[in-house]
Amino acid sequence: MSGRARVRARGMARSPSAAGAGRALAPPSASPSPSASPSASASPASVDLGNNEASSTSGFVGTSRMSEKCEDVRPSGDAGCTFIERGGKIRRDFTDLSVCTREKLAHVRDCKRGSSGVPVKLVTNLFSLDLPQDWQLYQYHVAYVPDIESRRLRIALLYSHKELSNKAKAFDGVILFLSQKLEEKVTELSSETSRGKTVKMTITLTRELPARSPVCIQVFNIIFRKILKKLAMYQIGRNFYKPSESVEIPQHKLSLWPGFAISVSQFESRLLFTADVSYKILRNETVLEFMTGICQETGMSCFTQTCEKQLLGLIVLTRYNNKTYRIDDIDWSVKPTHTFQKQDGTEVTYVDYYKQQYDITLSNLNQPVLVSLLKSKRNDNPEVRVAHLIPELCFLTGLTRQATSDFQLMKAVAEETRLSPLGRQQRLARLADDIQRNKDARFELETWGLHFGCQMSLTGRVLPSEKILMQDRVCQPGSAAEWSKDMRNCKILSARSLNKWLVICSNRDENVTEDFLHCLRRVGGSMGFNVDYPKIIKVQENPAAFLKALQKYVDPNVQLVMCILPSNQKSYYDSIKKYLSSVCPVPSQCVLIRTLNKQGMMMSIATKIAMQMACKLGGELWAVEIPLKSLMVVGIDVCKDEFSKGMVVVGFVASINPGITRWFSRCILQRTTTDVADCLKVFMTGALNRWCKHNHAPPARIVVYRDGVGDGQLKTLIEYEVPQLLSSVTEASSNTSAKLSVIVVRKKCAPRFFTEVNRSLQNPPLGTVVDSEATRPEWYDFYLISQAAGRGTITPTHYNVIYDDNGLKPDHMQRLTFKLCHVYYNWPGLISIPAPCQYAHKLTFLVAQSVHKEPSLELANSLFYL
Amino acid sequence: MDNCEVPSKKVIEFKPPVYEQRYYFVKNLVNRHGLRKIADLGFGDATLLWMLKYHRCVQYLVGVDVAARPFEWGGGRLSPGVGGYIVPRELDLTITLYRGSAVQKDSRLCGFDLITCIELIEHLDSEDLAKFPEVVFGYFSPGMVVISTPNSEFNPLFPASTFRDPDHRFEWNRTQFQTWALDVAKLYNYSVEFTGVGDPPAGAEHVGYCTQIGVFQKNIAKATESSISEPEEHVPEEHIYEVVYTTSYPSLQQSKYFRLTLSSESVKAIGLMKSRFLRGLRKREGDRVVPLGSCTPQFGLTEAQRAEIDQSPKPYSVGEKFYVPLERLIIYPKVNHLVAGSMEKLRTILAEGLRLNGDQSAVQVELVDYQTQRLFDEHLISPVLES
Repeated sequence: MSGRARVRARGMARSPSAAGAGRALAPPSASPSPSASPSASASPASVDLGNNEASSTSGFVGTSRMSEKCEDVRPSGDAGCTFIERGGKIRRDFTDLSVCTREKLAHVRDCKRGSSGVPVKLVTNLFSLDLPQDWQLYQYHVAYVPDIESRRLRIALLYSHKELSNKAKAFDGVILFLSQKLEEKVTELSSETSRGKTVKMTITLTRELPARSPVCIQVFNIIFRKILKKLAMYQIGRNFYKPSESVEIPQHKLSLWPGFAISVSQFESRLLFTADVSYKILRNETVLEFMTGICQETGMSCFTQTCEKQLLGLIVLTRYNNKTYRIDDIDWSVKPTHTFQKQDGTEVTYVDYYKQQYDITLSNLNQPVLVSLLKSKRNDNPEVRVAHLIPELCFLTGLTRQATSDFQLMKAVAEETRLSPLGRQQRLARLADDIQRNKDARFELETWGLHFGCQMSLTGRVLPSEKILMQDRVCQPGSAAEWSKDMRNCKILSARSLNKWLVICSNRDENVTEDFLHCLRRVGGSMGFNVDYPKIIKVQENPAAFLKALQKYVDPNVQLVMCILPSNQKSYYDSIKKYLSSVCPVPSQCVLIRTLNKQGMMMSIATKIAMQMACKLGGELWAVEIPLKSLMVVGIDVCKDEFSKGMVVVGFVASINPGITRWFSRCILQRTTTDVADCLKVFMTGALNRWCKHNHAPPARIVVYRDGVGDGQLKTLIEYEVPQLLSSVTEASSNTSAKLSVIVVRKKCAPRFFTEVNRSLQNPPLGTVVDSEATRPEWYDFYLISQAAGRGTITPTHYNVIYDDNGLKPDHMQRLTFKLCHVYYNWPGLISIPAPCQYAHKLTFLVAQSVHKEPSLELANSLFYL
Repeated sequence: MDNCEVPSKKVIEFKPPVYEQRYYFVKNLVNRHGLRKIADLGFGDATLLWMLKYHRCVQYLVGVDVAARPFEWGGGRLSPGVGGYIVPRELDLTITLYRGSAVQKDSRLCGFDLITCIELIEHLDSEDLAKFPEVVFGYFSPGMVVISTPNSEFNPLFPASTFRDPDHRFEWNRTQFQTWALDVAKLYNYSVEFTGVGDPPAGAEHVGYCTQIGVFQKNIAKATESSISEPEEHVPEEHIYEVVYTTSYPSLQQSKYFRLTLSSESVKAIGLMKSRFLRGLRKREGDRVVPLGSCTPQFGLTEAQRAEIDQSPKPYSVGEKFYVPLERLIIYPKVNHLVAGSMEKLRTILAEGLRLNGDQSAVQVELVDYQTQRLFDEHLISPVLES
């Protein structure tokens, strides 16, 4: 199938036919911007609100170009009330902010703050942004007579008018925002095009917006984006980077650009500017070089398929105009020596075009062209346009999966990007300083009436530390970050004896395996986990041999299979896990031979593996005190499938005893288009049945922690998922049904907190809760720091209680959440999210990466995926 | 955009549009003469400057416009952009935009190779027009000046019978423009040639080009004479213009970017060698594993280059490390071009970013990284022949 045919097969029409107007198929920025008032010196140059960096955004007062050739074809008249930003989309995280859940929760309407713990003063990455008391934003609608379709021309005409030239304004071609009210409600202006044709512009006041309005927030964000550009930063995606301070890692062909993720939004009591240090990873490799590498490795036989497999969907950056494109197709039939039609209708070859336009000589005349479908700027524009890109001029961006699994590379990246709290603070302070010192930035802020204030401090609380309950004693860990030392010689809560099990290893590794088993049985004994001697099967050193051994020796009576893997080749792990999770459901433990060969580590490795094995058999390791009787906690996570695009894995893990030590785990693979909610009812009902079976009554309370929520999904969660969960809870019992709470867990959030210690900054202590200032007025939310970071800065976890029948006091909700961060059995210490979420994550990850199939229900009662 | 207008006469359409033809005229001129320092008076939306910035020869671009507003140039298309950092230019480039008028003297505009005034003079009133030659030719005194202006003889072919822009103070016919230009040239010791862009339609050839252009070239003999009597550096500093935007491009003249480019070109060459090495047959020689073949890449080289590489010392591996002798690396065209064939330069610069072996004769990299990991997965690695 040729490239062309494929595009069509995907149901996307090519541009010329779709456009109807014979739009030219052209490389991006095929012709210089149609500038062109013949009077160059008098021509107004407008700022495009879209912040479209490198494209020809300057305004023009047209000449010979006819209207159908203008870039933004859009039905004329009113385009609705949404202000169009870059990409034509409203930021999705802003839509979440308009979902007000707190007002429905009576018990936190007035106060959502907890009380327990020790107050701690925290420095944040939030800056105050002040406006005059009576500040308002004035929204106008602008109509043109005769109507003008080109957005650029609309903007240019309006901006060139004296009436508006000195006012702070934001304009997208239809909607105009001003910080000062015009004298009249309706203002008539007229401007002239270069041909002397008069265009009448009618500016009508449509709304007066208070500073808290979401629309104002959007405008503030536009203003700050302008300001950061003024500070010699580059916008890539949503963030801003400073190339002049780039860090190079030549051995991995990478450049790291330091920069910031910024946003302005309404926090608990005031408008705040958030800045977080961010790094952009750029690859110093063209698509052509990448293809050459593939060709050398695979030869010509499957070259085209491999290229398509590796390249389609990747984002590339064109070096001449600094735009990013997604590779949607590769057209092998087009060569750089072929011609295309420029916007003015003339034909030119790609080679000549790049030479003339950019003084670039293409070195390879046999390369194909990459095809990218261009998104329409307006959502209501059905037209699809394509861009042809030359591989030699396109750079790969970001890291591939292979790269992220390269330990050396990731270490190099981490070393450069990990910043201590102090280092982070220094960058923030410099940014704030730059904003305040820069003349143009100050001017912009002043014309809008904004005052950029100081960095905000607030008071958090450090929750009391938790005791860890073992079988024979209660221990108060020296550090909640890790208590493996405290646990030495303690007995785990419960464990099933391991009597019938198999070990599969390669012939070569027999001796090491024997030594390890000896050690494993000894540590098992001391923790109260009896491990009998297994049956050892020696096989050839290849994945097929391991799989064959499984098929031959594993029967339903086998309690567990351990595989000693000769290498970390993914196929070993994947084939074993796939077979033992779904075809023949038996818990399995894979161990890399390299791990066992580590000198002097045998005991600690054996201890860790023994604990994992105990869990996989349904054992319980430790617990924390849970004051609530009859409480079920649930974790939900979603993970994209590694192989099949368009598929996601939804994981659901629920506790099935009041001590929260035993778990019921389910997961499902489904299309991305399917609502997560659909499977939740089945899962919840299953979990409730399991609970009833063990406890002879349904739970009194259920707290669901929902992870894996993307920007803009909050509304769907409330409208579809919560009702599904509720209905299964109601159906489960005849009389009083369990009370439900649903909490959205976000590991990524903008605020950062630091504590000041000895005039330096450190990460806040474990258990620090923030439930004021940095929270949102429309939500019942809080931040919790529950993980330690040896180096680098901790990201707090954000919890948003979107539904709460339980009516627990905020303090209790916070403490329960903190407790749950202690009981993840794969790590004897605190983790960043509640254990059920981490279990759900581990389960979905295993299925998405290796199994690609729903694991057997028979395994649902054990943590087989640890 | 003028689609509501009912044309009384057939609208003349230029392909490419005339404004574009004017810019290409300048672009070609710059390219032909390899001009280094260029200023555009009345730069408007900076399209011409943007087009010129891509030229390798251009090192200094200046725009002057009375309507230049400071806030509008941040992060615009005149900035180097991400690509400019990934693929640095060979030579430095600085772009500066000023707010100012073509009839104001500013010493920062002196000493240019070319000053362009595209569709500018017709916007000047008679007072300014009178000052203009003294400022541009007398004071700035660049090597070349390009002045374009509408040719009024062409106007009857347009539907509207008035000036092409309401802001135009005059539109000259060819005689008027040439008389003015010749006078100016004579006064300031320039020679001038006349041309234009925008061919008249068939049958109307007598009207001449839509846009008339005068290309002024400084009379060199005279210029030398005047520079003796009044050397350039004696022009007193006079800063009238306000800087509204300035940017510098990363280039290979800056050590940071030179080192980066050399390292990344080397790493790319090494990567290709490594994949050949791992895929081909190898044998053990002492602690080294050496390839049986030559590990010469299949693509991007001429026969001669390939032969030369075949002759050079082969790469080898020791344990988990892969070594490429610098003597081989330096033959790779891109590497060779960067260091201009200097082994010492290659060694010194690479030592700053990459790891060299003990006697500094070879670059050392990991034998297996994520690029080669792919090979493992597909079982393409051939075994080492024990010898």
